[in-house]
Amino acid sequence: MSVAAGPYQAEVTAVEQYERQAARNPWLLLWDRLRKKRLAMLSLAIVIVIYGAGITAPLIAPYSYTEQNLERGLEGPSADHWFGTDRLGRDMFSRVLYSARTTLIVTAAVVLSGTLVLGNFLGLLAGYRGGWVDSLIMRIGDVFASLPGLPMLILLNATLLPRVLQLVGWFEDHTPVSGLSSSGTASYFTVFGALALFSWVGTARLIRAQVLQLRERDFILAAQATGGSTIHIIWRHLLPNVSFLIILEISAVLGAVAGSEILLTWFGVGVQPPNPSFGAMLFEGSGARTFQAHPHLLLVPAAVVTSLMFAFALLGDALNDAVRGR
Amino acid sequence: MGGNNRILAILLGVLAGLVLIVGGLSAVLLLSGGGDDADSASNGGSSGGDGSSTAATSGRLRLGGSDPITLDPALAGDAGSATYIVEIFSGLMTLDEDLEIVPDLAESFDVSADAKTYTFKLRGNAFFHNGRQVEASDVKCSMERAASRQLGSSTAAAYLNDIVGAREMLAGTAREISGIEVVDDRTVRITIDEPKPYFLAKLTYPTAFVIDCQQAESNPRNWTRQPNGTGPYKLREWRLGERIVLEANTRYHLGAPQVQQVVYELAGGSLLTRFENDELDVAGVSVNDIDRVRDQNNPLNDLYVTTPEFSIAYIAFGTTTPPFDDVNVRRAFGLAIDRKRIAEVTFSGMLMPATGVLQPQLPGYTPDDKTLQYDPEAAKRALAASKYAGNMPAITLTEIGGGAEGSVDTQAFIEQWKNVLGVDVQIRQSDAATFFADVDAGRLQMFSSGWIMDYPDPENILDLKFHSRSSLNDIEYANPQLDGLLERARVEGDPTARIKLYQDAEKLILGDAAILPLYFSQNHVVVNQAVQGWIEPPMIIPRLRYVSLER
Amino acid sequence: MAGYIIRRLLWLPVTLLAVSFLTFSIARFGPGDPVTVAAGQIRDQEVLAQIRAERGLDGSIFEQYGRWVNRAVRGDFGESFQQRGYTVREIIFPKMWVSAQLGLVALFIVFGLGIPLGLLAAWLHGTWLDPFIISVLLFLRALPVIVVIPPLIWLFAVRTDILPVGGWDGVFDIWWIGGVIAVPIPDPHLYIPLVALTLPGFAGVARLVRVTALEVYTEDYVRTARAKGIPESRVATRHVLPNSLLPIVTVVGFALVGIVEGAFFTETLLGIPGIGRLTFEAVGSRDYDVILATTVIVAFLFVVMNLVVEIVYSWIDPRVRLGGSAVV
Repeated sequence: MSVAAGPYQAEVTAVEQYERQAARNPWLLLWDRLRKKRLAMLSLAIVIVIYGAGITAPLIAPYSYTEQNLERGLEGPSADHWFGTDRLGRDMFSRVLYSARTTLIVTAAVVLSGTLVLGNFLGLLAGYRGGWVDSLIMRIGDVFASLPGLPMLILLNATLLPRVLQLVGWFEDHTPVSGLSSSGTASYFTVFGALALFSWVGTARLIRAQVLQLRERDFILAAQATGGSTIHIIWRHLLPNVSFLIILEISAVLGAVAGSEILLTWFGVGVQPPNPSFGAMLFEGSGARTFQAHPHLLLVPAAVVTSLMFAFALLGDALNDAVRGR
Repeated sequence: MGGNNRILAILLGVLAGLVLIVGGLSAVLLLSGGGDDADSASNGGSSGGDGSSTAATSGRLRLGGSDPITLDPALAGDAGSATYIVEIFSGLMTLDEDLEIVPDLAESFDVSADAKTYTFKLRGNAFFHNGRQVEASDVKCSMERAASRQLGSSTAAAYLNDIVGAREMLAGTAREISGIEVVDDRTVRITIDEPKPYFLAKLTYPTAFVIDCQQAESNPRNWTRQPNGTGPYKLREWRLGERIVLEANTRYHLGAPQVQQVVYELAGGSLLTRFENDELDVAGVSVNDIDRVRDQNNPLNDLYVTTPEFSIAYIAFGTTTPPFDDVNVRRAFGLAIDRKRIAEVTFSGMLMPATGVLQPQLPGYTPDDKTLQYDPEAAKRALAASKYAGNMPAITLTEIGGGAEGSVDTQAFIEQWKNVLGVDVQIRQSDAATFFADVDAGRLQMFSSGWIMDYPDPENILDLKFHSRSSLNDIEYANPQLDGLLERARVEGDPTARIKLYQDAEKLILGDAAILPLYFSQNHVVVNQAVQGWIEPPMIIPRLRYVSLER
Repeated sequence: MAGYIIRRLLWLPVTLLAVSFLTFSIARFGPGDPVTVAAGQIRDQEVLAQIRAERGLDGSIFEQYGRWVNRAVRGDFGESFQQRGYTVREIIFPKMWVSAQLGLVALFIVFGLGIPLGLLAAWLHGTWLDPFIISVLLFLRALPVIVVIPPLIWLFAVRTDILPVGGWDGVFDIWWIGGVIAVPIPDPHLYIPLVALTLPGFAGVARLVRVTALEVYTEDYVRTARAKGIPESRVATRHVLPNSLLPIVTVVGFALVGIVEGAFFTETLLGIPGIGRLTFEAVGSRDYDVILATTVIVAFLFVVMNLVVEIVYSWIDPRVRLGGSAVV
């Protein structure tokens, strides 16, 4: 575990330093520092534009993402179709917008469920309670960390997705609820469920290492002495002290999750068609011959995906620097 | 900071060195491009020279391929495996280049008056690759092995069950197939349960091929790595995922093949590009390349060959599942799609729109289009007449998909159903394992399916896929009138009358819209000029022995 | 230290058991099985049920798992359904060897170019070139593998016809000069997969090297050594170099994981007969024994590699205690 602890040691002290500096409103100070970094601001703008496009896709998309026009397939960019059309004559611009929505949904869901809820809670619990709880959580984490991620995700999605769809179908047949499987919600659910299952380990280890140091500090001991419950201490005293770590972790996880969704869908086990995804668009455009004949099929989604991933990386860096007081 | 700089200088030197090494090696690589070719050519020359080849047998043919699941004829159920098996092994009967059923290991055969007993006379010059003569007992033990319980063949039940006693053997209640008698060393007599005109055709399928039983028994797990077959080619090398090398069997009983060595490159990648780099002699053409290949000005155009294939793609309905238990709904779905245009647009005309169930060159095929024609108004009327008009349940179409998107044609159909019928069909992609399990369990409403003919007889698709009691009827289609026709055709002795029965059966299936035929497949290949006698038959038959090389 | 290593090693079988059982149950959870896939278009349910019984695929999942463990501990990982007559071991090891060669060459290049690039950036600290280099490397890391490969194939194999499209033919070819002197040269199949595998790796290594190189010279022990009058060259080789390279050890693991994941796509797209492509195909056909064997082997390698990195780390830097100060 010291491999993980080594580099974080530095981080922890940096955070402490920072806490001392930011006496009143640490978040405002963080923002001030971030604002001075031009690349960070540019990255933030890219993320906001792409995520904003995702949120407002139904409003601003000129066409539906399924609307076909066989007469006008495989056209390059034009005034009618800014990003051109695919083999079925669907508007690539609209498909990019809706794919951004898919990315948004999946990243948000995984960050919420995997990183924030599972990772944080388990990390805080393991670090604070210690003993067998700690061992159990960390050994389970070891198992997940030693599984080869991508093949497992593909396997999980290949076997889980049909079962989930069956279950949802049964649920719809026996309750007045409907439209779950048809709107593709079930496949989203499976994808982010599987991703969350693998994404919590890193966060949990990081948080735990920090908590192990915090729990010997005076204010925690004081809280314990006055009879605070585990949940109370975690919520009131520990959580606020690891919040910067969480921000860093989220910025790192966002890019990884967005990338994983695209790769999974590319392999056919992610978001199910006709739900649009960058993975599906890249799949259509991959192949050297397709690239030769119709380069826009690959270049359009590739440009958007690369900008997004690049922005996540730069933003993560800048946040890291800002938290460390640089 | 002097030391700092020194370290940096050292490391920069290392970097520069690396760049030089990489650049230098690239240059060497570029220069050695020609050397590589020379190397491979000399390889070909030397391998052509070794062995006891006759003057006529020479050269090396380079093809693309993929790893077969098995080289055991009794176990193979897929086209990929059969491609190699038909070259390495052979059976009593085979298909020639015109798809006529002709004797192979058998020299001749007699059929009894009641058409139930076949007596095969084996060739005197039929030998295994190791030189042992093929005897009647080899035929018997090969088929019995295929039908044995321990082997677990998934095809034996379909291909051998006409033989008297085979069912008992398959069920494990008998230790031999009583219907196969060894009369003498070179005569074998096979009795079948009913006079079935298609029985001989079934014998051309690998399940009924002859193997060296002693070899298979002595090494049940691994014998197919160096199979002792009777076919025109011997397996010389099989490196998983890399290459399969076949070598001519100069003692082959139908005449020694002319190409000494056939190499299948298994690594994948774009075959056409490798063809253009002169790494392969024959390559399939994909939809991305078809326009280029069809271009009159492109040199590839002269090498381009296209032929029909015995395979049909169709949309299957779960005919007992709402809403497709109503013939009107099925018909409406068929009338609402414009297959011809979609085939043209999405596959660049690489597939032939289906005209029925029976494919070109099959007995019983007629060129007139017997399928439902695109007619939006008729489609709407049919839907309105159905019992689901106004209360259509949710519909999902399932297809096998390794990719992220639904296949382009399926997406186009879905759009047409939405526009013409106002019905929203969801598309679901499963991997093969999930898909087959769902199909077999009858869980699917509608699914993209297909059938590849295993032998050129209408029975192979009409009876197998549509008879209500056939185990392969995965759409749960039951039509007593159709069953009657198919049962009569099974035993009809007069070929013309028999074909007529199958044509009637086909019309019944199409009129009832049990399936929606979409396309008949076609082969699209480019063949190197040096390759003579290459044939692209509609199904898998032994074909390498017709090929010769001129270079 | 020995105690800690033994404790970790004792955990290994437990982790592997958990990994294998998890994989085992996930693989069998969904509909569909290898028998169905291998049968192809002729699927008679009675026959298939019989084959399942014959191949030991009947009974409860615990019975089946028990049988698997029983065989696996004796080194028998079963037989493939997609390659009848070949044991899983025979299929996996040649493919692992291909992937390992590719991965090691990639790792070598990632560090061989990443370290000098990092030092270069540190050297250029204060100029616009420093952030520029790092940004370019970060950009390369942001490029998904599936985006990089098609243009590479197009450019080098289709358009200019310099490199082969795909496939594998070993790492080195022997180039004979005058038929006498043998010169090993990289096989042309190597270039495209190597570019795809290494591009994302440079950023991590280079950035770490840059940061440590900038920090090491401000450390107390370096200043002390200098104050003592130790020659500058000795300071550099004895103190600065080991300490700048120390953190690199920690990213070996990460770099390797990145290469393994990238290999998955690279091998599939370029038709390289490696373990990544095999795993993908095995998942699609539910080739249970192949899936299990690959997962368990990879998990084993991950755990062992992590342990080795820890040991090496503590050996280079005595300040680090094995097991970590805060971590039990």
